[in-house]
Amino acid sequence: MSDEQRDGDTPALSVRGLRFGYSGAGGDVVRIDELDVAPGEQVVVVGRSGSGKSTLLHLLSGVLDPDAGRVLVAGTDIHSLKGARRDAFRGREIGMIFQSFNLLHGFTALENVEVALMFSLMPRGEHAARARGLLGTLGIDRMDAAPEELSVGQQQRVAVARALACKPALVLADEPTASLDPENSAVAIGLIRDACREQGAALVCVSHDPVVAGAFERRVVLEEVGVGEKR
Amino acid sequence: MAVSDWTIVRRSVTGRMFSSVTTVLMVGVSVGLMLTLVSMRDAGRRAFERGSGDMHMLISNDSSPMVSVLNGIFYANAPASYIPWADYERLGARYPFAYAVPTQLGDSFRGRPVMATTRGFFTAFEPDAGRAWRIADGDLFGGPFQVVLGAEAANETGLGVGDTINVFHGAARDPGAHAHAEYDYEVVGVLAATGGPHDRALFTDLTSAWILHAHDRRVRELGDAAGLTGEADLTEADRKITGIYARLASRDGGAPAALPQVMSRLRAQEGLTVAQPRQEIQRLFGIVSNIDQVLLGMAAVVMISSAVGIMLTLYNAMEQRRRQVAVLRVLGASRARIFGLVMTESALLGLLGGVVGVGLAWVGGEIVSAVMWARLGLVIEAAIEPRMALAVGLGAVGLAAVAGVAPAVAGYRTSVARNLRPIG
Repeated sequence: MSDEQRDGDTPALSVRGLRFGYSGAGGDVVRIDELDVAPGEQVVVVGRSGSGKSTLLHLLSGVLDPDAGRVLVAGTDIHSLKGARRDAFRGREIGMIFQSFNLLHGFTALENVEVALMFSLMPRGEHAARARGLLGTLGIDRMDAAPEELSVGQQQRVAVARALACKPALVLADEPTASLDPENSAVAIGLIRDACREQGAALVCVSHDPVVAGAFERRVVLEEVGVGEKR
Repeated sequence: MAVSDWTIVRRSVTGRMFSSVTTVLMVGVSVGLMLTLVSMRDAGRRAFERGSGDMHMLISNDSSPMVSVLNGIFYANAPASYIPWADYERLGARYPFAYAVPTQLGDSFRGRPVMATTRGFFTAFEPDAGRAWRIADGDLFGGPFQVVLGAEAANETGLGVGDTINVFHGAARDPGAHAHAEYDYEVVGVLAATGGPHDRALFTDLTSAWILHAHDRRVRELGDAAGLTGEADLTEADRKITGIYARLASRDGGAPAALPQVMSRLRAQEGLTVAQPRQEIQRLFGIVSNIDQVLLGMAAVVMISSAVGIMLTLYNAMEQRRRQVAVLRVLGASRARIFGLVMTESALLGLLGGVVGVGLAWVGGEIVSAVMWARLGLVIEAAIEPRMALAVGLGAVGLAAVAGVAPAVAGYRTSVARNLRPIG
């Protein structure tokens, strides 16, 4: 589903009765009865270490299958899709930003963004322009530099550009400021929020960083089991 | 150009340059070895068969027919035993030969054999069955101390008609070998190339060779009083040869019915070794083909080892690349696509190895050709059959692809959740 096709009323993310537990772990690690994120909305999920924040992102992105419940991304139940169809859907509709960025070594900044576009429906001829445009918007001028030649802040910008490359409905950010000091954390989270807003993508960010949590209007607290909400 | 699957494969190969190059070289060596063996086997057989020309038998006093052929046709070593000239004349009178050309080996010039013979060697014996000798320059020898150069001998020494040389008694590296500076040989002719062992030889008449040997004897016997030996000083014992190129007369030009009988009678005579060159060459290849099989087997083992090398290289790389695979999966790559990427990488290593192998085979062929030429005077064309190269190359790609299955499965099964560092 491209952004032009998306229904403005359909939530970017809709979770119902989600349950997940690791075998032998004794009980659910993730338990969310109801969570909706509107298109373009930005939410931070906070919780103590071990409260299942990363697991939640894996469930939301379809990397893990839940024991029960449904996750709808842009109206599509991601877990109802099987195999390559789910992978393709994730590539098009969900962008991910990791704590350690996970940029591909051996590829330039530009190529790291283009890799994401390989899995989109965008014609190949438009990939370079799209990647250049995004990187330019995010202030990366050394697009042909390898990730390790860039500063930490620039690497993060490349990671943000990659997450937004396919114009996803939803961006999932996993502790995106964990490797930054508080001052740079605020700048970085501002950058991510602005970029998602500009591209029309909803943002779900998991973090235990108070600076990050404070930057969002809507906060979801992931309890040891279950979810509570604060505004 | 936008990033594609091919870019990912290429970067993966170049990102591990050392192990990729090592793996490609391993595959290349095995493919090269295989191709060299296969192409040289056929080319070698053709080259060996060319040397014996149209003769039916080679008569000598060597220790075995095989030695006789290697010495008498391929100039491997100077024969150690002789046939008296009188015996040669007796044989010529007794048997129905179309030709019986006497030869004597034992002298050399700059490491090249000098064969003493008669003009019949050029007028009766055909060096390649159905193709007579051709003279490129000058003429055949017409008397003592005239020499005719084989094509390659002329080419390598730079000698031409009108030049003068001194030959060595014995091969230059033999103990007791010495130059005969007192006898000048005049180059009177240069032969056209035949592609056989005779191209690297020099040819002179028998009388010259006998005089050289008689001179040594006379110097030993008479010292300085010996003077310069001439034809008149030759004794019956000086007149001897080391081989006879013989062909029996036949009505239709094919193998005569009397051949087995004649050979049997000749073999019954003491002091004669009778060889059928074609049979000996076949025997030689029978022996060589056993070694061939062993070498081909070894090449196959090397090829399989290189496939295992590819598997280990990719498998180890996969262990280091699990995070990259997980990221690609998150970005939208399916398991099948990851599987395909690894398989393509494996096949690419095989393909590169195949290309390197063809190059190595070409170099190997040239080396074998050069060695065969230097040692045996055989012209072996180091041509690699395109279909053979394609088949072996495709085999390498196929084997590499098979070797890629295990690492590809490892990539296919890579857990995304486990390989993306969890925080929380």
